[in-house]
Amino acid sequence: MISTKFKRAVLLAGLALGLAACGPKEPQTAGTPLGIRRLSEEQYRNVVADVFGTGIVVSGRFDPMIRTDGLLAVGAWNTSITPQGLVQYEEMARNIAAQVVSDANREVLIPCKPASAAAYDKVCAEQFFTKVGRLLYRRPMAAEEMTATLKITEAASDSLKNFYDGVGFGLARLLVSPDFLFVSDVAEADPKNAGTQRLNAFSKAARLSFFLWNSAPDDRLLQAAEKGDLYTAKGTEREVARMIASPRLKTGMRAFFSDMYGFDAFNVLEKDATIYPAFGQVAAQDAKEQTLRTITDLVLKQDGDYRDLFTTRKTYMTRPLGRVYEIRVTTPDGVWEPYEFPIESRRAGIQSQLSLLALNSHPGRSSPTLRGKAIRTYLLCQRVPDPPGDVDFSKFGDPDSPNKTARDRLTAHSTMPACAGCHKITDPIGLAMENFDGAGTFRTSEDGTPIDSSGDLDGVRYDDPVGLAKALHDSPAVAACVVNRLASYATGQPTAQSDKWVNFLREDFASNGYRVKNLLQRIATSDAFVAVPPPAAATSTKQASAQ
Amino acid sequence: MDALAPIYVKVLLHLRLPNPGPPVMRATSILKLLCATAAIVLCATPHVGAAEKKTLGFAVTKWNTAVYEGKFMDECPEGLNPSNKDIWWSKLNWEQRRKTPDILATQRSPWNFRGEHGEDVCVAPTSVKDPPLRIVKGGVSFGMNLDGNTDGAATAKTCKHENFTGVDGTAGVDNQMYRLFGCVYAWRSNGHIEQNANSHRLSSGLGMILIEISDVDDMRNDDHVDVTFYRGLDPFATDSAGHVLPFSSYRIDMENGKPRYGDKVAGKIVDGAIVTETGNVHLPFFGNYQYMNQEIRDLRLKLSIAPDGKTAKGDVGGYYSVEQIYRYVSGMLGAFPNTTQFSCPGIYVAAHELADGYPDAKTGECTMLSSAFKLEAVAAFINHPEAKPSQQAAR
Repeated sequence: MISTKFKRAVLLAGLALGLAACGPKEPQTAGTPLGIRRLSEEQYRNVVADVFGTGIVVSGRFDPMIRTDGLLAVGAWNTSITPQGLVQYEEMARNIAAQVVSDANREVLIPCKPASAAAYDKVCAEQFFTKVGRLLYRRPMAAEEMTATLKITEAASDSLKNFYDGVGFGLARLLVSPDFLFVSDVAEADPKNAGTQRLNAFSKAARLSFFLWNSAPDDRLLQAAEKGDLYTAKGTEREVARMIASPRLKTGMRAFFSDMYGFDAFNVLEKDATIYPAFGQVAAQDAKEQTLRTITDLVLKQDGDYRDLFTTRKTYMTRPLGRVYEIRVTTPDGVWEPYEFPIESRRAGIQSQLSLLALNSHPGRSSPTLRGKAIRTYLLCQRVPDPPGDVDFSKFGDPDSPNKTARDRLTAHSTMPACAGCHKITDPIGLAMENFDGAGTFRTSEDGTPIDSSGDLDGVRYDDPVGLAKALHDSPAVAACVVNRLASYATGQPTAQSDKWVNFLREDFASNGYRVKNLLQRIATSDAFVAVPPPAAATSTKQASAQ
Repeated sequence: MDALAPIYVKVLLHLRLPNPGPPVMRATSILKLLCATAAIVLCATPHVGAAEKKTLGFAVTKWNTAVYEGKFMDECPEGLNPSNKDIWWSKLNWEQRRKTPDILATQRSPWNFRGEHGEDVCVAPTSVKDPPLRIVKGGVSFGMNLDGNTDGAATAKTCKHENFTGVDGTAGVDNQMYRLFGCVYAWRSNGHIEQNANSHRLSSGLGMILIEISDVDDMRNDDHVDVTFYRGLDPFATDSAGHVLPFSSYRIDMENGKPRYGDKVAGKIVDGAIVTETGNVHLPFFGNYQYMNQEIRDLRLKLSIAPDGKTAKGDVGGYYSVEQIYRYVSGMLGAFPNTTQFSCPGIYVAAHELADGYPDAKTGECTMLSSAFKLEAVAAFINHPEAKPSQQAAR
C-alpha cells in the first residue's frame, strides 16, 4: 500500500515540476550519440538486490571502470569486459542463481511451483523467466531469448533431475548475458517528426532509472514504458516525480556524488598507521559515509541550497570518526548521531570533513597540492595538468630542510619554473586546509611552527578554512560544476560548459535556489536528456553490435 | 609559545560541561570555552583566567603493581620464589618422581592438592606448612608515605612495619605489597601476571577504570579539583597495532540510574600534575579471568598528563585488603598452575604477616597491605547518561 507520506511527496514533486515548467524554454540540442555502457559494480549489486532481495550475496571482483571527463559514469560508455572479468561474472551469476533457487529462497523468489521438483516444468519456468527476465533485461524478453533460456533450463533440469537446479542454470545465463551486463541505447524512428529518431521507451526508462536510482527500472516504470507513457511529457513528468519522491533517489544521488567527488579512491586509501593510528579502515569508510550523509541530508532531505554543502557545519558522527576529529561521541559504536561542528572548530563544508581531507593527502602527511587539485577538479570541474615527468621533488622532500611547514616547502619547490604554473592554481586553495593533517585532524602547528592557512580562490582572499568555505560557496564555478557533472552523468556523455543545454540548466538551477532536486527534475524531463542525433549521425545498438 | 600550550588546547577541547543548562546557555558556554582556548593559544599564557570549569577524562590502559627491581636483584637476596609445583616436586622421593607420569594421567595439578588430607592448598592455605615466602629485603621501593611517619611505628590505623626509601628519595615509603610480591617472578617486569591482566582488559574492555577530573579552573595550578573513578562500559578503541587510541568516547557503567562505581576524592593541580587527597575508593578490576571490586583505602593519586594531552601516567598509593589480594592470587592459580611461581600457603602466611594497615578491632592484627600501583591512561571522553550530542564540546 502506498503511504500518505509518499503520495504527498509525489504531489509536491509534481507541483514543483509544474512550476519548473513555467520557466524559460529549453533550447533545442542535437542529442547524445547512442551507446552501450557496462553496469558498474554498484549498479550490478543494486539490480540484484532489487530483483532478488538484499539477502542475496554478490561476491566477486569487477573490472575497474575508467574515469573519463571527471566521471566513471562517462567512462562506463567506453569500457568492455576482459576475459578475466567475464570469468568473474560467470562465477557470480552461478552463485547468485544458486542462492535464488536454494531451499531457503525458492518459495519467495520463484512465483510458482513445478508439478514435480524432480522434473522440468515449462509453465513454471516460463512464468519465472518472464518476470525476472523483464527486470534484468529492462524490457520484456524476446520470444527467441525466452526459447533459448527455456531450452537450457530444460536440459539442465533433465540432466540434474531437479527443476530448481535447471532454473538456476537458466538464470545464470541471463546474468551473464550482454543484455543484462550492458545498458544499450536503442533508437527508433520518431513518428511525430519524420526523418528523426528517438530513444525507445525502454531505453528511456533505463536512462531515467540509472540516473535517478542507480539501478534498473522497477515494474511500474517498465509498465509506463510498455504503455507508451514515457513518450508523452505528462507521462514522463509523472514517473520522474514518482522517482524523485522515492527513497531510492538517495541511492542514486549517493552514487552520483561518490562518482563526482572521486570516492572510488576510498577502495585503495591507506594511511600510515604509525602516524595516524586512529585512521583505520573503519574510520575511512565512516568518513566516506559521513560526507554522503551530509550531502543527502542537505540536498535531498532538507532540499537545501547545493552551495551550502561547502559551508555547512552540520553532519553526522560515529565513534571511529570522533577519535580522528578528537571529539566526544555519545552514541555507541556503529550508531550514527547528528553533529554540528562549533564555529571555532574551523570546520565548515564537506571539504573540511575527513573524507576529502584524507583522500587527498599522502599516507603520512597532508598535501596542499593534492587538496587544491581535488577542489579544482572535483568541486569546480577545472582541469589541473599532471606534473612534468622530470619534476624535482628534492627540495620538497628533504627531511633536513629548514622549511618546517608545507607552505615553506612548497614555496621553495614552486620557485622552479616547471612547477610554478600548476602550484599557483592548487596551492592557495590547499594551503587553507593545512590546519588539518593528513588524516584530517585539526592542528595549529606543523613541526612546532604555527600554520598560516591563508590563501585565495580566483582572487578571493581568505585567512583560514572557513574563509575558503565561503569563497567556494560564492564561486559561480561550484554551482556550474554540479550542473555540468549531473548533465554528463545523466546522458553518459561529456558536456561542455558552453553547451546550450548546460547553460539552460545552470540558469534554471540558479533561479530555483540551487536545489538539486529541481535540477534532477529539469534534467530528467528535458528533451535533451533523451534526444538522439539524426539517423545519419546515430548508430543503433543493433547496428553497432553487427559492426 | 609556552611548552604547555598544547596541553591547554587539548584539555579545553575534550572538556565536558558541568551542568547541562538550557540549550542556548550550553551553546553560549561552549562558545566561551572555545574562545578561551583561542585566547590561550594566541597569548601563550599559562593562566586560563575566568574560563569556565573544565572536565578531563582518562581511560586507564595499564594498571600494574609497582615493583622496584634493583640492578642485581639484590632486593631478593634469597632469590625468587619457587612455585607450588616446585615445592610439591621437592617433597617427592625418587620412586614417587618416577611415577609422576602415572599421577598426571589421573589427576590434574596434583601440586595444588597437597594438603594434609588432599586439600587444594590455594583454597585451604593453612592445610600445609610451606617454606616461608621469600620477601623483599631491599630498602628502596616505589610508593608513598601513607601513614605519615618515617620509622614504621604503629599508629592508630597501622601496625608496626619496615619502611622503604622511595626511588625518588622520599623517606618513610609504605609498600608492603611490594615486599610481598617483589620476589615473585610473575609480578616482576618479565612476569606475566600483570601483563596478562592488562592484556585481558585491553581485549575485552572489562574492568576498565575511567578517571574524570572535574571542576578544573586552571590546568597549571588549581587548589581544588574533583577526581572521580568510574567503570567503563565500552571496549577499548585500538589501532591496527592494538594500541589504545586517545580521544575515544566511553560510557560509564550504571546501576539503577546511578554509576555502579563513582567514588570521588578531592585534589589539586600542582605544576601541571593532579594530586589527590586521600579517600576510600572502589575500582573495577578484571584480569587473569577474575573480576574484583577492589577497595583501596586512603587512596591517593598523582597523575601527570603528557604535553600533547593524549596520555597520562600516574602513581596510586593506598591500603589493599589482604583477603581481597589472596582471593585474587588463589583464584588465578587454577588458570596458571605452572607459571605463577609462588605457593599459595606461602603468600597467605606472608600477606598476613606483612599487613600493616587497618588493624582488626578484636585481634589487633592488621588486615590491609600498604601498596603502590602505576597506571597509564589515554585521554578519553567520559559519557554520562545525560550527555547529549548538543552538549558536545569540540575543537
